[in-house]
Amino acid sequence: MTTDPLDTFTSLPLTLDPTSKSLSSPLPDLTTPLTNLTQLQRALLSTPSQTPPPPSSTNPKRSAQIAKMRDQGNASLRKSSSLASAQEAVTLYTYGLEMALTRPPWEPVQLVREECALLYSNRAQAYMGAQMWPEAAADAECSVECKRTGNGKAWWRRGKCLCEMGRWREAGEWVESGLEVEGEKEGGKEREELVGLRKEIVRFLDEERRRGGR
Amino acid sequence: MVDWVSLTIPFAYLGILIGSLATFSSLYRKRKAAKSSTLEPWFGPNVQRDIYLSLLHLEPEPGKEKSPAVPDGVLKAALLHRAVEDIRRILEVKNAKQALSNLLQRGSVGDDLWQRFLRAEKEIEAELRDVVEEANALQSGWGQTIFQSANEMHHNAILREKLIAVQAQGKSDKEWWQQEKASIQSKFMKELEEGEKDPTKPASTLGGDKVGSDEDTVLVESGGPIASGALSISKGGTSKKRKGGKK
Repeated sequence: MTTDPLDTFTSLPLTLDPTSKSLSSPLPDLTTPLTNLTQLQRALLSTPSQTPPPPSSTNPKRSAQIAKMRDQGNASLRKSSSLASAQEAVTLYTYGLEMALTRPPWEPVQLVREECALLYSNRAQAYMGAQMWPEAAADAECSVECKRTGNGKAWWRRGKCLCEMGRWREAGEWVESGLEVEGEKEGGKEREELVGLRKEIVRFLDEERRRGGR
Repeated sequence: MVDWVSLTIPFAYLGILIGSLATFSSLYRKRKAAKSSTLEPWFGPNVQRDIYLSLLHLEPEPGKEKSPAVPDGVLKAALLHRAVEDIRRILEVKNAKQALSNLLQRGSVGDDLWQRFLRAEKEIEAELRDVVEEANALQSGWGQTIFQSANEMHHNAILREKLIAVQAQGKSDKEWWQQEKASIQSKFMKELEEGEKDPTKPASTLGGDKVGSDEDTVLVESGGPIASGALSISKGGTSKKRKGGKK
């Protein structure tokens, strides 16, 4: 006789710790899913009736905290261009990022993207102020990952960092794809800067080629 | 008067005909079902579903009669994970459907694959309904939002994974950059030493009457790259400075 797979399931050997409410199983494959499960269960404790609310409702306190961290970081960057203030800004942005990334997983991903795009982009700027190019490049890329369009600053920052590290060819490719994503017609300062950086890269590569040919 | 004896013959004929057709049809269907069930399932085992159902049917511990009561929170978390897994699967099915039907029309893939796919699609639909029912049973009204939440969870997980990967790449970049910086610095030091050793060389090539003043300019030039190099070390900078040093 055939059995319908929907009526059956594989019984797994699970044990429940009644005090900590954490699950365990002798099967090694289950360790990760069960740890994730326990984490999710703990996260759910903070919600009313332990059910995730619909994604439209989020905790406004956390958003306010994140915005505050960002503003403080911006203020620190604006105050002076010294190394110390850049480092302070990095710390503040990092706090903000931690808060944004530890949002409960069922909250809208769009919100996380928006917040993280700004924070990563700003932290990239702070790192650039401290001349920490690889960190800044990684942050700018993260910002682009969060928000691909309308994020010209982040595209420019990673391009600039790659130039500073001498990876001109890579920078050229990056800036090209940035210009593609941002669209040709969209004007504005950010785009102009990106075009300027492209010119600079092209000039350098030409020069290098001429020197190499000589 | 009806002749019952002569009527039995057509009835017997009809009976045998219908009987044989029914037998054939049921055999055929059984065989087909058996064949389709032996086809490999499209997806692997659904671990999250197994966990949830295992929790519902938790075995009592040895020595105790009653099975332990699973707290609601754990069940809800398990159901949410099951919903996330379903979202992952339904997205996969949606993505594959168009491409697969194109391939089937062109005859590039066999009918077996299509059968497997259709079965997976049917299964996932039933699975979604099941999850909604379970959610409503755990918390009235949850069935309407559980898949919204699960969808966000799925995309959040993808985003975080991506960000972690980029940051990890950034870390290895950082190590590379430390070495690169050190090598650039040692190059500068070498240039500096060379610059100190042969300040006479460019002076002698220039030769001539005003040796003293030439030496002064050479010293300034060879000092230039080190000073600016210490401020901002970059490959672009080095090559430019090197060019300056050569003249």
